Amino acid sequence: MTLLAALFSHYRRHPLQLLALATMIVLATMLWTGVHHLTSQARASLDQSESAVAERQQVTRADGEPVSVRDFVALRRAGLCVMPWLEVASPGAGRIVGVDPLAAACFDRSAKDNEPWRGELDGAPFVDISEAAGLAIGQKGQKDSQGVLSLLLSGPDSGSALPSGYRIAPFTVGPDTGELGESFLLNLDALGMLVLLISALLLRSVYLLGLAQRRDSFALLHRFGVPGRQINRLLLLEIMVLALVCIVPGVWLGRWLATGLGSGFGRALEGLFDTPLYAGQDGGWLVPVATMLAVVLVACLADVLRPLARRLSVAGRGQSLLPALVLLAGIALSVWASALAWLFVAVAMVFVAAGILAPFLIARLADWRAGGEEDPLSRWRHRELSVLARRLALPLVALQFAMAMVLAVQALVTTFESTFDQWLVQRLEADYYIEVPEGADASLAVDWLSGQQELAAGLWHRVIRGQATLMNSVGESGPVVDVFALGPIGPLVTGWQLFESVGAPWQSLAEGQGLMVNEQLARRQGVTVGDTLSLKLGHKAIDFPVLAVYPDYGRPAGEILIPASALPTDFETGFQSLSISPGTLSMETVTSGLKQIWDVEQLTVRDNRAIESLASAIFDQTFLLTRAMTVLTLILAAIALLLMGWVFFSTRAWYFRLLVVWGLPRRQAATQLTRLSLSLTSAIALLALPLGVWLTWILVHRINPLAFGWSLPMAVYPRFWLELGVLSVLVGLSIAVLMRRQLNSPASAPESASALSGGER
Amino acid sequence: MVDLLLAVRGLNKQFRSGTQSVSVLSDLSLQLGRGESLALTGRSGSGKSTLLNILCGLEKPDAGRIQVLEEVFDSRKPAGSRQAEARWAALRRRQIGVVFQEANLMPALSLLDNVRLRARLAGQADDKCEDWMERLGIGELADRYPDQVSGGQRQRAALAMVFAMKPALILADEPTGSLDRHTAEAVTRQLFDLQARHGCGLILATHDAELATRCNHHLDLGHQPET
Repeated sequence: MTLLAALFSHYRRHPLQLLALATMIVLATMLWTGVHHLTSQARASLDQSESAVAERQQVTRADGEPVSVRDFVALRRAGLCVMPWLEVASPGAGRIVGVDPLAAACFDRSAKDNEPWRGELDGAPFVDISEAAGLAIGQKGQKDSQGVLSLLLSGPDSGSALPSGYRIAPFTVGPDTGELGESFLLNLDALGMLVLLISALLLRSVYLLGLAQRRDSFALLHRFGVPGRQINRLLLLEIMVLALVCIVPGVWLGRWLATGLGSGFGRALEGLFDTPLYAGQDGGWLVPVATMLAVVLVACLADVLRPLARRLSVAGRGQSLLPALVLLAGIALSVWASALAWLFVAVAMVFVAAGILAPFLIARLADWRAGGEEDPLSRWRHRELSVLARRLALPLVALQFAMAMVLAVQALVTTFESTFDQWLVQRLEADYYIEVPEGADASLAVDWLSGQQELAAGLWHRVIRGQATLMNSVGESGPVVDVFALGPIGPLVTGWQLFESVGAPWQSLAEGQGLMVNEQLARRQGVTVGDTLSLKLGHKAIDFPVLAVYPDYGRPAGEILIPASALPTDFETGFQSLSISPGTLSMETVTSGLKQIWDVEQLTVRDNRAIESLASAIFDQTFLLTRAMTVLTLILAAIALLLMGWVFFSTRAWYFRLLVVWGLPRRQAATQLTRLSLSLTSAIALLALPLGVWLTWILVHRINPLAFGWSLPMAVYPRFWLELGVLSVLVGLSIAVLMRRQLNSPASAPESASALSGGER
Repeated sequence: MVDLLLAVRGLNKQFRSGTQSVSVLSDLSLQLGRGESLALTGRSGSGKSTLLNILCGLEKPDAGRIQVLEEVFDSRKPAGSRQAEARWAALRRRQIGVVFQEANLMPALSLLDNVRLRARLAGQADDKCEDWMERLGIGELADRYPDQVSGGQRQRAALAMVFAMKPALILADEPTGSLDRHTAEAVTRQLFDLQARHGCGLILATHDAELATRCNHHLDLGHQPET
């Protein structure tokens, strides 16, 4: 038998430990790689979008119809240098952009850095337009698969010879989101880091348990003349081989997970930031493999490689002052920090401190209870709980973190869903939504609708959308904001929830006494009710008092809500629509009446209930990834605690058996065991609760406004607490059930070597 | 014969490993009265520990009749398993004290708390526990934990636990096997002194021939038939 085989024989004796280690490495790698894969792709897409469309213009049809190949031909024949840009959704992978390399040749070559489609079209997201067209045709009929063609103009002055029927428009992939997109991805990175931390704790706990059991074998080999360094080298080799064997399938599974969640994540990214998720920017294999290898090595061998760290950790055991100070400092920082990075630092501080303090608290509490117990059996049970809390500290803390994370994410998602649903119902109060065709006079429709007796007053309004420029106090142009003009102001909007407002805000709005701003604009510009905003709506700047701030979830842009009557005549309307609840009047009557007055054959009519369900589906997708990650992490942590609890209880089985030897009926010994394991898992669930509520507060009140631009009300959900309580009870019961089997089998001697010298206390 | 404490008749025990079966106890019979002691000797694997486990109900024999005080366990008239287990548990709790070679103490409890726990389980008042520790010479170690004392002191604490429960029968499985000769001698002397003074029965499994001669009776399990 070789030395390596002798060392590895431990896992032949304890295959479950090897299985637990391997499973944890695979699952942790899968989770982290999945998140890393998606965030890398999204980050590259954001960069790609910014560089690809920087200061670029496109040609659109004046009649509002989408451009086609015919338009491309017509424009090229007219001598205009336009390049087709065909975006096709690739299921799972994201968006693919088809460009024509020949047409791209007329673009200025000096700006190659800003034109990522230049050069070799060797893969996603930029491919030859024929390939993208083939993909679009191949997927015809599939949801979200149709290609969208744009015609990019080579330079800002090229529109001088534009044929009639066309106009120039800025080519944008989405509104300027500032750092919001990046913040969103930073959130996911932080979640990924938390998953990594929990996984590292679990790995470390299982590995150290095995190491403790193998210490006698190492000492024996040392006595046989094997140098300690050689044993350490072999341990390093062993864990590296195990890590690589498990990391490779983990990365593969992570990429598979990312592909599965890719379309949903892409839709979420588009829904939140109007940024498409382009295909192909996947970050490769090297980063996940190297990261996970480093995590596994540090988690498992930190003590072996750095004896100093081990000495420090032993010396620091039992000292709670420093962690308590770190906890307080973290909480203080979370209240005062104004940058996202500092908030993450605060979260890290609080988690690290809570992780050190939790097992310490349970052990101290158990010792305190033991000290006050008269009954020796109860005293023994509390002392055992203290030992368990210290010995199972790492998996316990991992479970605590996972529970806190699940509590917070569940609360955030549920709060968001209920708030968003409520908001969406308010926003889509009208039953139908009709687009005003290009060139049609919307005021004719307003007159016609006003004349309909069956149509109850106020159950329709006209919506005018466009853009305005915010002016600063010295008359300089500021950021561009979206304009949402309504008229008449009626019951379809007066039920909207407002964050803050003047008295009778809707009446004041209807009377043209001011405007309302969305939360994003209010936060970004520091606007509050009573302030005055100077806006350039046409050619002239107008001052408007701010009447109210309204919630506007799910998009980053700043917006103002003003009565349509307040728009100047030279306001450039971008888009118009009518929102209608027809009441007793049939929708057919409305549409035929409007067709007649506008003299058109077709109208775009949308059912707002369908839009509502589509929007809800998009936001479900938004949180699918976070939910999946948190639930998987919780399962991982629960299984790890179960395994660790089982393995560690095995080392204490002798003492339960001793109770049986002393005449305690097996049933009562098993009851002691159950009470002990339940106390342990319930205590950690209880300690996870304040951490989870604090994390919810951080996510809702501090991180969300910084990352998304809007806030949510803080809500707690005791039902989730109960669910996690039930989970902790189930884990405790499972440990007890597994242990009962050991209690019934004869054990002639304690399993752990330390028990021979009195056992751990 | 003095008051009968233990009577065993026709005891058989086999262990199965795959298709093989090894008989460790075959048609074994013995009797022990109050105040008597019996030494069990034999090579490793001869069944000493198995017999002790059977005599306190921790293992079941394949066949045989065991009477401890008034309780009778007969393989030919098996009572319900749960009922028999409850009767054995009651005997171990109040009448049978067991001492192993090592790990007789709860590591999370002080020596005194260990003794108190054992006395309380036996239904004895725990106010005499400190006396027992004093008598065994470990009174000053009452608040120490098992990992803070020597092996000999731990075994003395184990004896204190046994005597604190005032047992009728003590089963000791190589109680001095892990101790040095000097300490082993001191612990053994205390065990025999107290056993004689309190008139309880003692069955002692040992490899030590000299120790075996100090018992009233001697049973060499090495001469048991084996199949």
